Amino acid sequence: MKKTGPVVFGFLIGVLMLLHHFTPSSWIGDRYNNVLDWKQVVFGITLILGVISLFTYHWKKIERRAEGWGYSVITVAGLIFMIAVALIFTPERGPYPWMFDHVQAPMQATMFALLAFYVASASYRAFRARNFHAALLLTAGVIVMLGRVSLGELIGIDSVSTWILDFPNTAAKRGVMIGVGLGMTATAIKIITGIERTYLGKGA
Amino acid sequence: MVIWDHIGMWVAAVLTIAIFSLLYRDNPFYRAAEHLLVGVSAGYYVINYFYASVIRKFAVPVFQQGDLWLLPGGILGLLILLRLSRRTQWVSRYAIAFYVAAWSGYLIPSVIQERILIQLQGTIPPQPGTVPWDAFLGAIIVLIGVISILIYFYFSAPHTGVLGRISQVGITFLMIGFGASFGYTVMGRVSLLIGRFQFLFQELPESLMNM
Amino acid sequence: MISAWLTEERLGRTLLAAGQLPWRALAVGMILAVAVGAGMSPAPAAAQATSAESPPVHPTGEAALAPPGDETLGDSRVSGAQEADAVSDPAALVEPEILAEEVADQAEEDARFAWLQPVSGWFTPARFPTAVATLLFGITLLVLITRARGGRDLYIRRIAGLEAVDEAVGRATEMGRPILYSPGLDPMEEVATVASINILGQVARKAAAYETRLIMPNRDPIVMTVSQEVVREAFTEAGRPDLYDPNDIYYTTQSQFGYAAAVCGTMMRERPAANFFIGHFYAESLILAETGNATGAIQIAGTDSDSQLPFFICACDYTLIGEELYAGSVYLSREPLLLGALKGQDVAKVGILAILILWTILSFLGIDIRSWLG
Repeated sequence: MKKTGPVVFGFLIGVLMLLHHFTPSSWIGDRYNNVLDWKQVVFGITLILGVISLFTYHWKKIERRAEGWGYSVITVAGLIFMIAVALIFTPERGPYPWMFDHVQAPMQATMFALLAFYVASASYRAFRARNFHAALLLTAGVIVMLGRVSLGELIGIDSVSTWILDFPNTAAKRGVMIGVGLGMTATAIKIITGIERTYLGKGA
Repeated sequence: MVIWDHIGMWVAAVLTIAIFSLLYRDNPFYRAAEHLLVGVSAGYYVINYFYASVIRKFAVPVFQQGDLWLLPGGILGLLILLRLSRRTQWVSRYAIAFYVAAWSGYLIPSVIQERILIQLQGTIPPQPGTVPWDAFLGAIIVLIGVISILIYFYFSAPHTGVLGRISQVGITFLMIGFGASFGYTVMGRVSLLIGRFQFLFQELPESLMNM
Repeated sequence: MISAWLTEERLGRTLLAAGQLPWRALAVGMILAVAVGAGMSPAPAAAQATSAESPPVHPTGEAALAPPGDETLGDSRVSGAQEADAVSDPAALVEPEILAEEVADQAEEDARFAWLQPVSGWFTPARFPTAVATLLFGITLLVLITRARGGRDLYIRRIAGLEAVDEAVGRATEMGRPILYSPGLDPMEEVATVASINILGQVARKAAAYETRLIMPNRDPIVMTVSQEVVREAFTEAGRPDLYDPNDIYYTTQSQFGYAAAVCGTMMRERPAANFFIGHFYAESLILAETGNATGAIQIAGTDSDSQLPFFICACDYTLIGEELYAGSVYLSREPLLLGALKGQDVAKVGILAILILWTILSFLGIDIRSWLG
């Protein structure tokens, strides 16, 4: 019940999902859609687990007056505020969408924008090519980078850039994709057959 | 523009600068913004997903429309919450097994089809003479690249001798490909930064003038 | 006598009755599917249409974040789509009179065998190549896993990124600083995360043996709870359950860049001496790796996301490329069953190489059987 039950249950669900790929049967199709809906519900509820964990983690810090507990107050306040305003005003109007538009979204966008600086520092690291392969990476990177701007067109490098993207790049992506595909499939088969069960935790 | 939108612009500007300050080093402004982002976004997503999944995919269909096929989703979800107690933790394994195995079952044929068979199909070169010579040459390069990369990923034999030399060709292809991906992405990343600067130096002053 | 009794109609009704019971219908459907599939070549148009109906492999939006270089990857799909367009209206290719005649014949045929239709609806013939490949790969894998159960010592080539795990943990111990482990952004269901959790178990064992603290911020609550169990078990097995602190494995937020902000903050403040970024990552990969680099940590990354690999290669000391991520847990644990599965992957690779070479030779000879691959 504790060990074999979840594995057998997982196997049955896994086989159902697998069969859906090969059959146009409406019965299996409906069950497949049910499973996708159940997954969404489970996922929604797991986030409650996450929020409880986040709250407990920071609350303990506040209680113990641990180093940086003042920042934990900010996290807890932000969390409670968002949940409270969504429940009071509904998520469609009021402070909930305002907080998303003016607090969350700008910070997320700025974190994303930091990539411009990090790409520059990573490029600098790549510029210090220490071996043949690093030099290859650098050369291909510079050619493609130049090929995307008007300077590349002026010096006639855009066609080389297109050629690299169309052929060696395609080969690299495909090679990685096929290898990853084999690894993914093997892991998935191990999961539904119960050979891989680390994800079920201790004693499974 | 209503007053709340103006206030929102200023809040967003302060927070944008606080996040940018990470580039200098860790500081109280970044730390406060980071903690605020974590708290607010965790609250945002739990509400968002709760409405989108638990309410729309469980509560409404089961309790209002009587669709009992969606009842197991709620039961499995409740099982997940039993993870909070050590004594009942084992019961949540059913929900986790369901969650992981369902996706694995979906992945097996999809990955074989999309990531393996279709990619193989695209790798086989056409008959010589049926396409322009440069396209044919390109197809041969792709074929050599894919073969050598697959040999690089072969784990059951040491990469010495012929196998070692072919896998070196594979690494060469990988590095050119990674370089190309890197180069292609750089400009996109720069445009993100321009977007944030535009907000700080264009939209924000405009908002101030409109006030 | 039997043949007289077994008329087409009776057979059809029997099969229909069987179809009402899902499990029996499934068996009948599969047998018919193999029979139908074996006799017909798959239609690329239909295959294309059905694959388009499937949900995306990565619903979290990898495609949106992948570099546009990915567009070049899809050339086979692009040609597939073009074929689909070309054959989607067969009427355009046939004379109207012939078409009318054929349509009438087909209608008559359909009317006669209408009662058989539900039976043929149990298998999608266009998926026949995928069905064969799935069966072959599954059987190969299970046979090799069963053989590996015998305890034969199977060889795996050296993987540099994994050899460096000891070095990284050792360095953290020497410096008296913690180790940071990020399992990526995907939820527990994604196989890359499962592979990452397996590697985590091995890293945690080494951390416990060296008495080094392990910090792990998570984006997914299930990944967090599973990781807590895995790490606790590793510390207990290493004889140091007292060193395990569940607060070191914590949930942050579902937000991609919120998670990145939290991990960067942790790296800046805790100054881990070794960072592990193992799992499936998106655009935040470079933010994490560059911040880690700025703190002077030794960094080991591993991802199956081809769009993020270039960034990890540039910013990390060691990178597990693609399939090496899946080989990682096998390499570190040497678990016989997992070793058998890895051997299965290698056998499949040899099969793929054989197909590539054979199909190319046939293509050069003017025999184009690429459609057999799906």
